[in-house]
Amino acid sequence: MVLPPNVSEADFSAALGEFRSAVGADWVFSSDADVALYRDSYSIYWGEPEERVASAAVAPATVEEVQQVVRIANKYRIPLYPISTGRNLTYGGSAPTLRGSLVVDLKRMNRILAVDEKRHFALVEPGVSYFDLYNHIRERNLEVMLDVPDPGWGSPVGNSLDHGVGYTTAPFRDHFGSHCGMEVVTAEGEIIRTGTGAVPNSDNWQDFHYGAGPTIDGLFAQSNFGIVTKMGFWLMPMPEAYLTGTVTVPRYQDFDPLIHEVSYWEDLGLIGMPDYGSPIGGGFFAPPPAALAALMASGWPSIDALERFVGVEARPAWSVRLHFYGPEETVRANWQAAKRRFSGAIPGAAFQDGEFLRLPIPPEQEPTLPDKPRLGIPSLEVFAMVARNPSTANDPADGHADFFAMIPRKASAVWEAARVMFETYREMDTPAPYNPFSTPINYYSRCFIMAAVVPTWRDPARNSRSRELFARIMDRCAERGWGCYRTAPAFQDQLARTYSFNNNALLRFREKLKDSIDPNGILSPGRYGIWPASMRNTRA
Amino acid sequence: MRRAMLFLLLCVTGAAPSAVAQTAPSDKNGKAVFDKWCAPCHGAVAPARGMFGGGALPGTAALAVKYKGRVPAVLEERSNLAPGFIRTVVRNGVFGMPITRKTEISDAELEDLVAYLTRKSARGG
Repeated sequence: MVLPPNVSEADFSAALGEFRSAVGADWVFSSDADVALYRDSYSIYWGEPEERVASAAVAPATVEEVQQVVRIANKYRIPLYPISTGRNLTYGGSAPTLRGSLVVDLKRMNRILAVDEKRHFALVEPGVSYFDLYNHIRERNLEVMLDVPDPGWGSPVGNSLDHGVGYTTAPFRDHFGSHCGMEVVTAEGEIIRTGTGAVPNSDNWQDFHYGAGPTIDGLFAQSNFGIVTKMGFWLMPMPEAYLTGTVTVPRYQDFDPLIHEVSYWEDLGLIGMPDYGSPIGGGFFAPPPAALAALMASGWPSIDALERFVGVEARPAWSVRLHFYGPEETVRANWQAAKRRFSGAIPGAAFQDGEFLRLPIPPEQEPTLPDKPRLGIPSLEVFAMVARNPSTANDPADGHADFFAMIPRKASAVWEAARVMFETYREMDTPAPYNPFSTPINYYSRCFIMAAVVPTWRDPARNSRSRELFARIMDRCAERGWGCYRTAPAFQDQLARTYSFNNNALLRFREKLKDSIDPNGILSPGRYGIWPASMRNTRA
Repeated sequence: MRRAMLFLLLCVTGAAPSAVAQTAPSDKNGKAVFDKWCAPCHGAVAPARGMFGGGALPGTAALAVKYKGRVPAVLEERSNLAPGFIRTVVRNGVFGMPITRKTEISDAELEDLVAYLTRKSARGG
């Protein structure tokens, strides 16, 4: 058994007894076998002393039970670590930031409290998954579309609180940005409702997010200031149609005007997340084709050399797939207008019509439907990227740790980020899945991401190497001025240190809040680098 | 290799469940558990095109690569799954498949799932 730091076995045993009284004996998990189910399946410290494992877990079913859990934790100074569905894989899963914390498993709080198809919102508890919410909507033929992240078993509450993202238009694919109203149990066990939910008898909690005065919702995301027990989300009205089209441009240096034009459509809110690609550079994270590898053998090529290479290849240098949502007339008209504008901006731009689908998708068509998250349909198909496949047949990874360099939406930044990643991998003598045609991800509409997917293993020796690579990527990107938007507990202290402007003024401000809001330091100590005063000198 | 040996052992012996189910396991309930928790990766009907070039459901595709046709890649078509093996994989995870907690699949539901995935073995199929 792992005990919480600075808590005696006798006190912990007494606390477990009180937790059992609060939530029922069946919902307190303290045997070694049961506690092991809260390990992070993708831990980059798997099986090592530094692995962040829980001391026990408790699964309340109501807000009142959450309040009781918090009060007991304060009494015994037991650190808590709330999870919603516990499927935040790659970012810690169901394991705590601080070893020995008691996990508060909110999976049993799984009520869908409202889905309004006229005002286009939902109100849910933390244990509701995207699959659950989607099924609820489809079974009732409600005319709203979800925006879902890649893995559908996550929670809208948990995903948005870790700044998760999806695929449809900008207002919806920023999941925290599209929330409206939350209910929070504070570290002292009090219930707060934000926005207009703070007005007694309000009937517009999910209609107006600000309320009046300072908004505090952001304090509960990627943090440790409260336990969110309800959260509202704005939803997209079910569009009549979905249409895709692909634009290709011929030259290497066409990438910048391509990005500029895509940003026009993006920032008008007329498209979903654009898919950038390169017909020359190979697939996402794939090794470069042989001719490109040969070109790179003597170092990172110059722009002129790349332009000549593109000319010899006689294929388009770049592509982007656009996704339109709306009435049939407008999606078709927007695609025609896009063709006109791209042609005017970039000589030689070419176009390929894609799919046209009427929405909602009939249930019988769903199983074979590709790109489900683009249509707000939860799936787990993203795991194909890391599951055993022909290229990893004998040695698939056990998990992965993802790094996201947040870079400006311009070609020069993409090229520089690809080169920084490439050179960092090379420093580690590791095959680098980057080349001068690497493309960004555009989850957040106003910012590009250059991603790194580092394998994790249930093998300490291999994890040691993955940790070194991951940490070095984070440092190299920070040296260049690029932060990361999200990471696993193993790297949250390092990440917090990269946001260090003015002698870490931002972190110091957060620490002051922590000391005031959670004086006993019981909520998720260390999450995103925020430690309570009593532990600040022992941070990793 | 060590993990492969563990699975082999469990296939042969069948490990005991961690808790005794309150009622007799039901393969009908087990199908519902499978459809909710397993089918999104281990289902039989794959999408026409994968998001990342996989073109298939991750679990089913992974088992097709692993077994190369020696046994069905679709779990529901298997007749050689041992109860202990199923319990171990669900509770421990394997490769990219994560651990599943009791607040997600209870011990009783796990026994239902075992009943469903071993129904062909029980019938000698």
